[in-house]
Amino acid sequence: MEGIVATGLIGVSLGAQYALLALGFTLIFGILGVVNFAHGGFYVLGGYLAYSAVTYLGVPYALAVIAAALGTTALGYLFERFVLDRLIDDHLATLMLTLGLYLMMSSGLLVLFGPQSPAFSFPLSGVLRAHGFYVPIENLVVLVVCLVGILSIYALIYHTDFGRALRALADDRAVATAQGLRPKLLFPTAFALATGLAGLTGALVTPILSLAPHVGDPVLATSFLIVILGGLGSIGGATVAAFIVGMVEAFSAVYLGGSKGALALFVLVLIMLVVRPSGLFGHRVRGA
Amino acid sequence: MTSGREQFSREVTRAESNSGEGLVMPPGDALGVVERRFDRREFVIGTANSGGMRLEVTGICKRFGGLHVFNDVSFSISPGEVLGVIGPNGAGKTTLINVICGMLPPTSGRVLLDGRDMTAKPLHVVSRAGIVRSFQQTNTFRTATVRENISRAVRFSNGGEGVWQAIAPLIDEFELAAHLDEQSDKLPYGLQKMLGLVLACAVRPKVLLLDEPAAGLERRERLRIDAFVRHAVTELGCGVLIVEHDMELVRRLCPKILVLDSGRVLAEGSPADVLSRKDVIDAYLGTMDEAEA
Repeated sequence: MEGIVATGLIGVSLGAQYALLALGFTLIFGILGVVNFAHGGFYVLGGYLAYSAVTYLGVPYALAVIAAALGTTALGYLFERFVLDRLIDDHLATLMLTLGLYLMMSSGLLVLFGPQSPAFSFPLSGVLRAHGFYVPIENLVVLVVCLVGILSIYALIYHTDFGRALRALADDRAVATAQGLRPKLLFPTAFALATGLAGLTGALVTPILSLAPHVGDPVLATSFLIVILGGLGSIGGATVAAFIVGMVEAFSAVYLGGSKGALALFVLVLIMLVVRPSGLFGHRVRGA
Repeated sequence: MTSGREQFSREVTRAESNSGEGLVMPPGDALGVVERRFDRREFVIGTANSGGMRLEVTGICKRFGGLHVFNDVSFSISPGEVLGVIGPNGAGKTTLINVICGMLPPTSGRVLLDGRDMTAKPLHVVSRAGIVRSFQQTNTFRTATVRENISRAVRFSNGGEGVWQAIAPLIDEFELAAHLDEQSDKLPYGLQKMLGLVLACAVRPKVLLLDEPAAGLERRERLRIDAFVRHAVTELGCGVLIVEHDMELVRRLCPKILVLDSGRVLAEGSPADVLSRKDVIDAYLGTMDEAEA
């Protein structure tokens, strides 16, 4: 029983991290129509920014996390505004641009920091014990920050004019623009928001998991998998699917063994694609 | 430059002399809408400040590389005026709307709204200024309810509660009132198209550009387009440009039409005059206009 609860908590904690990543990924896809292959890159960059701030500038970890989130937000804004936006409707071009950016990021980090993982650990350690099961405090902190992040995104998307504008652009860009919205301002802002979330997650999670130039690969794969499971562009779908994936990973790692987790997930996605190709919360287009 | 200006002023005077009583109102003025127009606008809050504006298009050209989509097209639409643009498929009608509304920059020529230069301004700037387009397809915010669709249109164009009151008659007319809480893409095709038109109206247009509003609608539903245009003209004081293939509808609504053929203006004038010209019939109507004979 304790084992199940403890594993469940790991699953929730993983799910919350994945949700922050997948929310950004699905926002970019839904609003800009771009598959952001650089999403994992922003995650790694967030990790390295926080690491550098702590190690070289002696900044407290909490401030380093904020700096990493702001840094990845700024880079995302500039990249969308000055590079991606010129070719925003060309799917192949945006694919190449985001993939290219990812390769530049990961090889740039490789050149700067070398292939080995730097010593970067979470400043808090310790274990919270209660009723026979225990949770590492670092996981708990990450969980709380991620949950606050998710709730903020929901508040922003569903309860502000900015969010309403983003949802309108996702629904129909031409109509929204014809009503006076400005894609030239909103697109880079939305992209920056999403990359900032990836950077924030990276800064929070890499000290617990691991930091190396290549750790963006599985992040991209997981984000992709979650967004397909939840329905491309769906915010609710990405959130639910992120927790499902977190749970499946946690339980299969504990009860089936590590490598079978990935197998279980991809089988799940395969079944989903056969049974319900639009994903859990995907939008079904009405036939004419 | 000088000759261009001369031509421009000629256009203006010609268009102004054309916009006499007979052309300003669609055939619907038999219903006495001219009288009502001024009465109603006194107390329709949202539209009180949004009378129409004059759209002038002078010598506009659009080329994609070596392909001339249209060449030297000029016309003007005064507040309350309805202009029909017809022509065979590929004549450049939709591109004309795309260029005027700012989705595409023209290769040359000018677009003026009450004398303000709108040429090559981006879509959101042009629509904020008052040139509002509708779309050929059913373009709505598909994941949102009808109510949310309308309130987005109102909000994005910085409108207030008054706009709801102003468009309420349209919502009733199109029987959208019963569907306010339905998701817009679950509506039948005809209603989705009407919602698209309501959204255009909710943006408080000064000039409306309608791209094939009747396409795909049943005969009975097409009369709603008449009601819509009449509302835009009488309640909002808009000028309206209609690109349409339905000749009956064009005859009913447009006192003046412009025929585009392979990117040039083939003819211009009243439907009766223009549609009886041999070159127009050859270019476009040919076999389909037997009813006219």
